[in-house]
Amino acid sequence: MTQRAYGGGISMVGVGIAALLLVAAPWVVPTSWLLVLENVLVLALFATATNLLVGWTGLVSFGQAAFYGIGAYTVALAWLHGIAPFSLAFVAAPLIAGLIALFTGAIALRARKLYFALLTLAFSELFYVLAEQLYDITNGANGIFGAMVPALLISPRIGFYFTLAVVMVALLLLYRIGHSPFGLALQAIRERRVRAEALGLAVSHHELAAFTLSGAFCGLAGALYVVHDQTAYPELLNWVKSGEPVIVAVIGGISSFAGPLWGALFYQIAHDALVALTRDWQMALGALLLLVVLFRPGGLVSLLGGREER
Amino acid sequence: MNFASVAIEVLSALTAAANLFIIAAGLSLVFGALRIINLAHGSFYMIGALLMASLFALGRPEILFWPALVLAPLLMAGFGAILERLLFRRIYHAEHLVQLLLSYALSLMLADLALRIWGADTRSVPTPAALAGVLVVGGASFPLYNLFVITLSLAVGLGLWVLLRHTRFGWEIRAAVEDAEGLSLCGRNVPALFTAVFALGAFLAALGGAAVAPLQAIGPGMDSAILVSAFIVAVIGGLGSIAGAALGAAIIGFFQAVGTLWLPTWAPAFIFLAMIMVLVIRPSGLLGAAQRAWAEED
Repeated sequence: MTQRAYGGGISMVGVGIAALLLVAAPWVVPTSWLLVLENVLVLALFATATNLLVGWTGLVSFGQAAFYGIGAYTVALAWLHGIAPFSLAFVAAPLIAGLIALFTGAIALRARKLYFALLTLAFSELFYVLAEQLYDITNGANGIFGAMVPALLISPRIGFYFTLAVVMVALLLLYRIGHSPFGLALQAIRERRVRAEALGLAVSHHELAAFTLSGAFCGLAGALYVVHDQTAYPELLNWVKSGEPVIVAVIGGISSFAGPLWGALFYQIAHDALVALTRDWQMALGALLLLVVLFRPGGLVSLLGGREER
Repeated sequence: MNFASVAIEVLSALTAAANLFIIAAGLSLVFGALRIINLAHGSFYMIGALLMASLFALGRPEILFWPALVLAPLLMAGFGAILERLLFRRIYHAEHLVQLLLSYALSLMLADLALRIWGADTRSVPTPAALAGVLVVGGASFPLYNLFVITLSLAVGLGLWVLLRHTRFGWEIRAAVEDAEGLSLCGRNVPALFTAVFALGAFLAALGGAAVAPLQAIGPGMDSAILVSAFIVAVIGGLGSIAGAALGAAIIGFFQAVGTLWLPTWAPAFIFLAMIMVLVIRPSGLLGAAQRAWAEED
């Protein structure tokens, strides 16, 4: 799985069709589907933000749920303690998540490869335990729920359009970041770290910047989760949740920008369908992941005709 | 806080640490020899405990405890050997993302399989009659079974040391770590050796599960609960080092005992902080080899 080039998987026509379908969706599909689509959008952002590290920079983080959960808890705690109105908390969520990512990243990036993955996992579990144990602040394992979102956003259509707009803008930003000189530098680091360093690239600064940006966008996804579900609870931060965006990205294909988007669509729909029909969701997910990892390292996009340039 | 309650707390922390050592030693052994990271190790532990409960249910507990304690890990070792042949063998040289995801996928499937076979209800295994008593020292009464688990972990540590340092098998494992190709040129069957190492790792995970069975409820969720702790122990000590696993278990046991006694709210956070601190100061763990290729190569 080395030597990947980050080709398209994104065509303007495809993006246009997808945007039209999504804008039309609230007037065409039933409300229950709309809620599934909202989940897909949030997961797509979470997975794409994680893929900035995993696919782009070659940093396998098993701790992105920490920032997702921090984003969610920022909105929920601001409401619970009456610190700030929703609008302010929503804007603050990615900033706070990014700030905490900056500090944890500075520590986690001291380790490499497997040890980096394990350090991010430890941070994820640390924040999970804190969310559960600091009962006076967070309500502990019960989580926080209530009317933390403005009444306007609770209406399914408006809520959907809000989520759609935020996710679209965020994805556009991530796309621009991924294909900017900075994004190319990240790919150079992934391919040949030592050489990138020898060419004068400030490798550790780039890695830390990528980690911070990824954390901020994961935090934004977490804040959107609250808009959708109006709750925050400790399991949003643990390592199992951290594995989710990595799995979604890998199933979709980490080598292209579109991979995590396809992965999110496929994952959410397969999840909802299988959970409704059988109790073997885990078995199916495990088997799918196994097959992808062993036989289709390019992920679903490589089946859909997205090129894997080598 | 009197002596008796402190002593009991320390004993229970020591028991947990001893059991963690058995499991983490398996994790570390497999990593050291095969260079793979196995997120399904916790599933092996859970299956060990569930097999123990099933074997136990076959007949009279006072007779069945000891055979079951050996048989359950042996069954898991056999299953582990099959998994190594089918799956893990393919990923020895893959990047760590592939290893993490493949073993994670396996752990999801095993969790579902265990749910199918054993159901969602928790089970319990009674303490065998011979170990059901307590040892009274200075007013504190120590359950014999806890002392047994600690003794077992010491025996496992000693056994692994003898096996790795003083037998042909251990000599071959160390040779394979240095130069697998060279060893196979000498006429040794390296793939079979690797299967054996993986099976031994699975055996240790299941032994930990079987040994802990009388002390806690057995059922779904055991796998992920132990996995993170076992990883922390192995990583703190240094992946690949059995002595490191022992040291890591002791440190975690100490932090948990201190935490539970004086700062119960913060106790669960302590072990993660300990791991973060150790990795920041010594990125390869306390007794891990610092310059080994797997951590540094690009």
